[in-house]
Amino acid sequence: MAMTITRRGFLKSAAAAGVAATVAPASAGAEVHPPGWSGAARVDKIASNCDLCFWRCGVLASVADGKVVRVEGNPAHPQNKGRLCARGNAGTGLLYDPDRLKTPLLRTGARGEGAFKPVSWDEALDFLAGKLREIKEKHGPESVALFPHGIAASFFIPLMRAYGTPNIGMPSFAQCRGPRDVAYKLTFGRPVGSPEPLDLEESRLVVLIGSHLGENVFTSQTTAFSTALARGAKLLTVDPRFSTAASKSDWWLPIRPGTDMALLLAWMNVLVTEKLYDREYVEQYTSGFNQLAEHVKGLTPEWAAPLTDISADRIRETARAMGAAKPAVLVHPGRHTTWYGDDVQRGRAMAILTALLGAYGRKGGMFLPTSIKTGGFPTPKFPVAARGRADGAGGRFPLAGEEEGVTNGLVDATLSGKPYPIKAWITYAQNVLGSIPQQARTLEAIMKLDLMVVVDVLPVEQTRYADLVLPEATYLERYDPPMVVATAKEPFISVRMPAIKPLHDSRPGWWIARELARRLDLLAWFPWETPEQHLAKLVEPTGVNLAELVATGAVAFPGKPYLEDRPSDERVFPSPSGKIELWSKQLADLGADPLPRYTAHEQPPTGFVRLLYGRAAVHSFGRTQNNEPLHALMPENAVWLSTATARAWGVADGQRIMLENSDGVRSDPVLAKVTEGIRSDCAFMAHGFGAHAPGLRLANRRGTSDNALISRVSVDPLTGATGMRVNFVRPVRA
Amino acid sequence: MARYAMVTDLRKCVGCQACTVACCQEWGVPAGQARTNVRTTPLSGTFPDLKSTPMVEQCNQCDRPSCVEACPSGATYKDAGGVVQVDGGVCIGCGFCLDACPYANRFINTATRKVDKCDFCSPRVVRGEPPACVATCTAHAKYFGDLEDRGSEVHRLVFWEGARRQETSSVAIGPNVYYLGKPELVALAFSSDPPHSPKLLTAGQALNGLVRPLVVGMVAATFLGQAVAFFAQIHKGEGDSHE
Repeated sequence: MAMTITRRGFLKSAAAAGVAATVAPASAGAEVHPPGWSGAARVDKIASNCDLCFWRCGVLASVADGKVVRVEGNPAHPQNKGRLCARGNAGTGLLYDPDRLKTPLLRTGARGEGAFKPVSWDEALDFLAGKLREIKEKHGPESVALFPHGIAASFFIPLMRAYGTPNIGMPSFAQCRGPRDVAYKLTFGRPVGSPEPLDLEESRLVVLIGSHLGENVFTSQTTAFSTALARGAKLLTVDPRFSTAASKSDWWLPIRPGTDMALLLAWMNVLVTEKLYDREYVEQYTSGFNQLAEHVKGLTPEWAAPLTDISADRIRETARAMGAAKPAVLVHPGRHTTWYGDDVQRGRAMAILTALLGAYGRKGGMFLPTSIKTGGFPTPKFPVAARGRADGAGGRFPLAGEEEGVTNGLVDATLSGKPYPIKAWITYAQNVLGSIPQQARTLEAIMKLDLMVVVDVLPVEQTRYADLVLPEATYLERYDPPMVVATAKEPFISVRMPAIKPLHDSRPGWWIARELARRLDLLAWFPWETPEQHLAKLVEPTGVNLAELVATGAVAFPGKPYLEDRPSDERVFPSPSGKIELWSKQLADLGADPLPRYTAHEQPPTGFVRLLYGRAAVHSFGRTQNNEPLHALMPENAVWLSTATARAWGVADGQRIMLENSDGVRSDPVLAKVTEGIRSDCAFMAHGFGAHAPGLRLANRRGTSDNALISRVSVDPLTGATGMRVNFVRPVRA
Repeated sequence: MARYAMVTDLRKCVGCQACTVACCQEWGVPAGQARTNVRTTPLSGTFPDLKSTPMVEQCNQCDRPSCVEACPSGATYKDAGGVVQVDGGVCIGCGFCLDACPYANRFINTATRKVDKCDFCSPRVVRGEPPACVATCTAHAKYFGDLEDRGSEVHRLVFWEGARRQETSSVAIGPNVYYLGKPELVALAFSSDPPHSPKLLTAGQALNGLVRPLVVGMVAATFLGQAVAFFAQIHKGEGDSHE
């Protein structure tokens, strides 16, 4: 290769040789600029919120010459206090991902073929507004469904409500936190909320049931978890897999999957029969204790042992440990709680256990939220949807939240045309092929639509099925509504502000929603012109200085996290009775079990194991697999198989196999990780891999998709939430 | 005189790799390479009696660094704070130090073609900031400071809490990276990836004696060659330069 040498190159090389010749190394540490610095005189640090996951930690984005050179944790942020996980540190990997959606795209070929032409924003938005008007006229506004996720969805939701549809489905409910939040609301009168109000750092005993903190990383929760461990808190982990948390545990209970309810009831039995529960607390704050005591009477550790595969002694020992550490016991309510279809009832059991330990509103347990009163522009009432909701929320799923809706209920309605046909889907920051189980049904529903619109940053799996693709700016390029967090010991407001202007021809979510509103004559719901006006109005009642908020990124307020912080007349619970409802009248009125009952779940047939899935520390959902620094650390997932299972299957560690589920659905090839660290009746893999998304050059078809193997669900009758740990797999040769 | 040290508390570390990514981003280390690496030890025991721990590894900034011995160009040296530095301007990328490091904590940076490794974030420390890994650690598991400073956290952890460093009977060159944790888990972390045998060190040292004059000669030759090329180029002009 011919080389030409520049003056600069020569001088560098000359300097190097000169130093080498004298063997007198220059002293290090003269550099005072950030990495990636290109000689800009000024480096700005813009305070904002992360968006690599939903925890939204405070970040500082260093900007030099219009380029974000580094994203770090914001030390002034009350939540993460300068700390940031692997994903947060890789913020520029998203911003400068070469595979980003760069311009609006309009489909030219058949749906799913992946043929698009770039169009201008005017063309794209005029097209979409025209289609939405047409659908409203022909089929009614309710026939449009929105699938949002994340904070900027707060601009698309009012847009679609104003348009006239109530059909909004977030996977955060029916594929995640829904059953848990409903269960805690039934019991304590308020949902758990997010971030979870867990007093981990003060806890004396942390109980994790299926939660794999450490692999499931939310920065501040990880900090609190580690702080608790270092302070000597005991750790009790219930998990069929030897997780990172299990490796740090004082007790690891490798439970038979699907039997958690039996363990929870047996623990209650010990607490009640041995009078280890917090009697004063139970008397003062709860109702229905006698019914509960009667209910758990026969549900002894000896009863639960053969069900759970945990010895009665071990159950008794751990229950006593809880009794000894009360009330500073944190029974982690979990987050992804859609497992077996009786998930509200399992959540109820966890809530009741928490109440028996006197741990709700107490130091070392779960603390109480302190709300912050925010403002906003007055807007007209949303039109009433003449035909009601199509997803079953508040109807066939009586306890499903109407705000978050039931995603799979919308898929059902699209497929069946009942209660009325759904003709269009708009997805915002959500890949429905990854977030909603039963991929084949989701795809079938998409193919039936008159209109499929994808608003996203990256060409995720579903993008090729879109009629119209709208490229959104990343979090580093846009304003989003602030996080108003009540579930912190010191509640806070934290803002997301753009660090740089949107790259390519991408646009912020607020702008896209507002421009659509303009075209649909719905600007009455967007009575502001700039994000700054929106923010100013929102924080107005708090008395916060806007300039200070924007400069520091967040402002915290004093909180009242414990019951003891509140006068006795405020120590009531927002439930119908004002008490913690151990026995639930609300459930009884619905014809459901007022106290949680053990239900046996189907165990794997011979030759099969149960498919479990979870998180990996360096990835969020399916959204980060194309982020180069994160991809480099974990380019694909592996399936964990026990040594015994692998032997029976004739599979070696590191071998690439295919899995087939009991419906005959086959996975893409996946590496086998053979380990002693999992029960032999289940397999585990990290979620979010194996997308068939040719536009994602790093992530495309790397690893395998757990979601593709989840062809069966067990739907919770109360919430519509899809229990997804009900699929069984066996190996087939790759 | 300062004696900088790092302590990782394995009781707290969850192996999340925030340190790895923060470090790579801070120093522009190419994807796929890293100055700080996190691993989980292989499981010890059989189901359900198992042990394992996350483990974080980076340059140990050894008191008697074999890499410095092995470096033929003088690029690798120990600075006043006890931190082992690599002068990228001097490094010729020969890789002898990689073989000499018992801990395999050095690599050739594929972008710069120079040896790269942790330097305790010296440029950050100079401006009064903690190393990037310490600043970002989600578990608050990493501590950095001066062992000579009796009031420092690292002094307390090393001299009072019994933080341990990874040495064996055959490899004892005074690492300055320490680990806290349950003794059996720290032992597992150490034994699951032990420092490699000192044979290489001897070989490296022997080689060093021979090679150093040779390499200095090569560097000088390169310098001369470039000078010739440069002046030749000035002569014909730089119109076709491509940098």
